[in-house]
Amino acid sequence: MSMPRVNSRWSPLRVLAYAAAGFVSLLCLYPYWWMLVSAFRSTEAILSAPLRPWPEAPSLQVLSEVASIGGTPLWRYVLNSVVITSLATAIGTVVTALGAYALVRRPDVLLLRLLRLGFLTTIMYPYMLLVIPVYIVMYKLGLLGSYAGIVLFLSLSPIQFFLFEQFFRTVPRSVIEAATIDGASEFDVLVHVVLPMARPVVATAAIVSFLLGWAQWLPVLVVSRSPDTYTLPVALLNLNGELGVNFQGIMALAVITTLPVTLFFLLAQRRVMSGMTAGAVKG
Amino acid sequence: MNPLVRRVAAGLQRSRGQRVGVFWLFVLPFAALTAVFGVWPILLSLQVSMTASATALQPSAQWVGWANYATVLADPLFVASLGRTLVYTALAVVCTIVLALAYALLLHSPLMGRGLTLFKIAIFLPVVTPDVAGYVVWRWLFDQSFGAVNMALGAVGLPPFGGLASTGTVLWAVLIAELWHHVGFYVVIFLANLALCDRGVREAAEIDGANAWQTFWHVTLPELRPALLVNSVYALIQYLKTFTVVAVMTKGGPNDSTNFVSYYAYQLFEQGRYGEATAMATILFAVVIALALGLMALQRTKGPA
Repeated sequence: MSMPRVNSRWSPLRVLAYAAAGFVSLLCLYPYWWMLVSAFRSTEAILSAPLRPWPEAPSLQVLSEVASIGGTPLWRYVLNSVVITSLATAIGTVVTALGAYALVRRPDVLLLRLLRLGFLTTIMYPYMLLVIPVYIVMYKLGLLGSYAGIVLFLSLSPIQFFLFEQFFRTVPRSVIEAATIDGASEFDVLVHVVLPMARPVVATAAIVSFLLGWAQWLPVLVVSRSPDTYTLPVALLNLNGELGVNFQGIMALAVITTLPVTLFFLLAQRRVMSGMTAGAVKG
Repeated sequence: MNPLVRRVAAGLQRSRGQRVGVFWLFVLPFAALTAVFGVWPILLSLQVSMTASATALQPSAQWVGWANYATVLADPLFVASLGRTLVYTALAVVCTIVLALAYALLLHSPLMGRGLTLFKIAIFLPVVTPDVAGYVVWRWLFDQSFGAVNMALGAVGLPPFGGLASTGTVLWAVLIAELWHHVGFYVVIFLANLALCDRGVREAAEIDGANAWQTFWHVTLPELRPALLVNSVYALIQYLKTFTVVAVMTKGGPNDSTNFVSYYAYQLFEQGRYGEATAMATILFAVVIALALGLMALQRTKGPA
């Protein structure tokens, strides 16, 4: 808003602005703190003093509470999350980069334009309802309950497609033509000219889709046939739905689910924020 | 090689200009994934919505035409659910845009300097936090007996908040959790747009004697049109599909007051009522597309482009 320019370092208005932003930030971050503290407190202790800002006696005792969820050991969920998300990210990045590249280079080919339309329609379709027919497709292909089914479904991500499409459109035609005149094949152009330029966008796309993929739960739940292929968010949902609330365990599992992506985000925050919102507003 | 395959391949290669061939190779995996996990399921969904649920998964599914759509549209629960979804979406979109815009303007104001990155990280962190984890925590924060929300309200002398337990407050409770998860995304988009705006124009308006409100209304807001358009379309699509927060926090209750269309359809799917579930999916899809296109057309006609 058009505030008058302030020259003094800490005018009352400025203090007010910082107080407001600080308050909003605290509201955003408080649930994390409460989750972390609660993971180290017994359910009875939380009942008697929910707002206590730190645990009575911090211990890693809680890890035994969640060592096994629904008869499946915790390490299995962790491993599933890491493996499924990594594979889906790797496959998705390669496949989407190549696909978007072809679509940007040959918009003159009707079939490729139709493919783009099909992809855009897919991402407009309500995701949780796409999962229903995908279940039927998996059933028909015999992929129900398999890692392959989960990984392949998770590997398509709209945000990756938009990032790559936007980037490839900025590659000057003259650069590609120059290489072609020198006798390079399209394959050479891709590997030796375009991909080296695309390194930053590949990194951004991979990081963003890892973060979004880690949070996925419904496709994993629907394609799975047993907890053996569940990822951390699905295990958390399961634990949260159980009768007889294991409150401390739920909070501990929420921490385990959240912590890796939180650290990842903090390390790459600039890239994640610009990547996830890229292309939304063009200058 | 089969002569037919060879002829098709040669034809594809000839299509407008040379060397399309290798591009087919590049696009093939992407095309396969889009077809198998996008286009096929959507077509299948349309097909299943016109077959009897009991036979939907069998090779000889029984064709029933529009019967499932008729059943769904005559179901008072579905009609109520659709109305509820639209009301919630309208409320959520307005709250999201207003809050995100206000906060982006605050962060963008010349009053802000040092620490801006920290404020941006704080508002954006919930966006990349797995939604299940975030909503599980909010569910317990709202708990009536040991939730921190009511404790904090009590501590400052305010009446308790009904949270998820009361039909009167549950929509607000769900909305608060969703705003926490989503609003940072919209804030960062507004900030990106604000960074492109010309500070000079605003300063000129101030020198010409425009007050803060006039400057905002006649200078800043028109400059933010791209972000407003993108944000309202994104928010509209996103809230129409509201699902995870319901699955984690309320299971549609209490008394169906958060039973939105996507959750209702999913419940039918779990009961094996595939025909009706996919009919609902098609209806929701149509609503999403119609409202998104309508909103885009509306914003395009409003004011000089």
